[in-house]
Amino acid sequence: MRVFATAVRAICGLNALVGHVFSWLSLGIVVICFTVVVQRYLFSTSFVWMQDLYIWLNGAMFTAVAGFTLMRNDHVRVDIFYRPAKARTKAIVDLVGAVVFLLPFCAVVYVYSMPFVMRAWGYAEASANVGGMPGLFILKSFIIVFVGLLALQGVAIILTSFLVLAGRSDLLPVAQRYDGASPLSDNEGAA
Amino acid sequence: MDPVLIGELLAGLMFFGIIGFLLLGFPVAFTLAGVSLLFGAVGMFFGVFDPSNFGALPNRYIGFMTSEVLVAVPLFIFMGVMLERSNIAEQLLLTMGKLFGSLRGGLGISVIIVGAMLAASTGVVGATVVTMGLISLPAMLRAGYDPKLATGVICASGTLGQIIPPSTVLIFMGDMLSGINSQVQMAKGNFAPTAVSVGDLFAGALLPGFLLVGLYLAYTIFKAITDPQSCPATPVPAEEKQDLLREVVVSLIPPLLLILSVLGSILGGIATPTEAASVGAVGAMILAALRWRLSFATLRETTVATATITSMVFVILLGASVFSVVFRLMGGDNLVHEFLHNLPGGTLMAVAVVMAIMFVLGFILDTFEIIFIVIPITAPVLLMLDVDPVWLGVIVGVNLQTSFLTPPFGFALFYLRGVAPDDLPTSAIYKGIMPFVALQILAIAILFIFPGIVTWLPRLIAG
Repeated sequence: MRVFATAVRAICGLNALVGHVFSWLSLGIVVICFTVVVQRYLFSTSFVWMQDLYIWLNGAMFTAVAGFTLMRNDHVRVDIFYRPAKARTKAIVDLVGAVVFLLPFCAVVYVYSMPFVMRAWGYAEASANVGGMPGLFILKSFIIVFVGLLALQGVAIILTSFLVLAGRSDLLPVAQRYDGASPLSDNEGAA
Repeated sequence: MDPVLIGELLAGLMFFGIIGFLLLGFPVAFTLAGVSLLFGAVGMFFGVFDPSNFGALPNRYIGFMTSEVLVAVPLFIFMGVMLERSNIAEQLLLTMGKLFGSLRGGLGISVIIVGAMLAASTGVVGATVVTMGLISLPAMLRAGYDPKLATGVICASGTLGQIIPPSTVLIFMGDMLSGINSQVQMAKGNFAPTAVSVGDLFAGALLPGFLLVGLYLAYTIFKAITDPQSCPATPVPAEEKQDLLREVVVSLIPPLLLILSVLGSILGGIATPTEAASVGAVGAMILAALRWRLSFATLRETTVATATITSMVFVILLGASVFSVVFRLMGGDNLVHEFLHNLPGGTLMAVAVVMAIMFVLGFILDTFEIIFIVIPITAPVLLMLDVDPVWLGVIVGVNLQTSFLTPPFGFALFYLRGVAPDDLPTSAIYKGIMPFVALQILAIAILFIFPGIVTWLPRLIAG
């Protein structure tokens, strides 16, 4: 049980670190895109690589923070039944969802993306634009990063569900406990 | 059994099966993808689905990751979150609320107007609803509004970005319709056709956008008269009224200028939506700095919120791509195609049926995917029947706005749920949107009866 809890903490720690670091790319997108605009309209110059860069930063950002977003429970649910459910029910839904939906999705995307990414690495693929960014193969690798971090968080969800079902949610980080993350008391019936 | 039939049957079953599985409450993006994979596996068993088609996924994904247009999403979210974190937008709303005085429903009216202004500056539905949800919902709930009315107003006003220019949906649609229109005109023997541009669609969408705003305002005023409890007046003390003029200048004018410059630079053809969005984001930071609100903590909160909200929206798109691959390759689009070819009735009936199909697809699919799937199949047929391409494009835009709002799959509702307070029941969001869905359908009916609302302005501009 303690091993499970330690694994959950480690995975959440990794995704929190990645999430906080890659979130700053959003500021990078703003600054670089604005710089491109200023250069173009005030100084009549432009660099193709900068135009590639802010676009790519978005691709890297939303893929890299997907696991972090899952950890924060920010991926939207149709929670009309989920929200008022008991912690055990939620744990079962999350366990089944992670095993049947999330992990197969990660596996399929991994299997079919790997050759695509390897090919890009094979010739160090760069931007298709003349004067564009090098390293398109690195951006493409973020598809693998995306499914990797998502799958890890999926494993954390499975372990969390086990712990909740075993009645040992006290071992979990507070934010990952079902009663800690979202209050169970709901005024659904009263509304 | 005929394999084609099996495939189409499975595609149909999958469509409805997803509804059931989504209700379990696992995150939408992964449920969409996971259920589609399950049905794909069943399709493989019957030999009607070839999994090598998943090889198309990485290309689609890298397409989203390198899309210049889609970068507008994080930029506009950044702008909205920054405006919210620095309380600028809230003050904008409060000032607008005071401007409308102690009117019942006044805050709702101001929210619709501010919402329309934000829609006019963002043009991306996800970003607009999220921005509105972050800005307007807490303010309205604090004022004691019925959560149903508050969320309904926000979802409806927030999806105006779909139709009020600048709208990325209209940009894609204008691009496709201009190509299809020139082909159709050639086929008809018209070798010098009038071109359809994105600008025409923007001009055509302007009055329908105002029509929708007018309908929302009329409904809110109706609620204020018949059900005063749902939208209590916000009392404005006399001393605050004295400061109102100064407050308007301080709170209202700078953000209004920011929004108008973003919209103006796009409409004037000076900048792309993405470029304008970056100017808006920097402008929001400057406004925050002028109020001494641009701290490191604010920046960090803004970046984390921007990144996670952007990821949430994009990952839905990635999950829906899996659905789209499986649905289309098992013959789902064939099913739709065959159906269209056996239509009875005249031109308007054909358009109405296509609209109904889009409406249903909108329950699950993303707007752009609907457009990319449905427009190439149906628009050539409809344009051959002498349907005005600008009118068609605008009607599709209003229609897809409707499908953003329909529970349980309206994407606007998902986006709002993602940023709404945890203690706000999802059922309130679902109930609250109903009257506004009715208003949307009313607006579509009005545009069917009076197509001139769409076609008048583009013709006036063209001279």
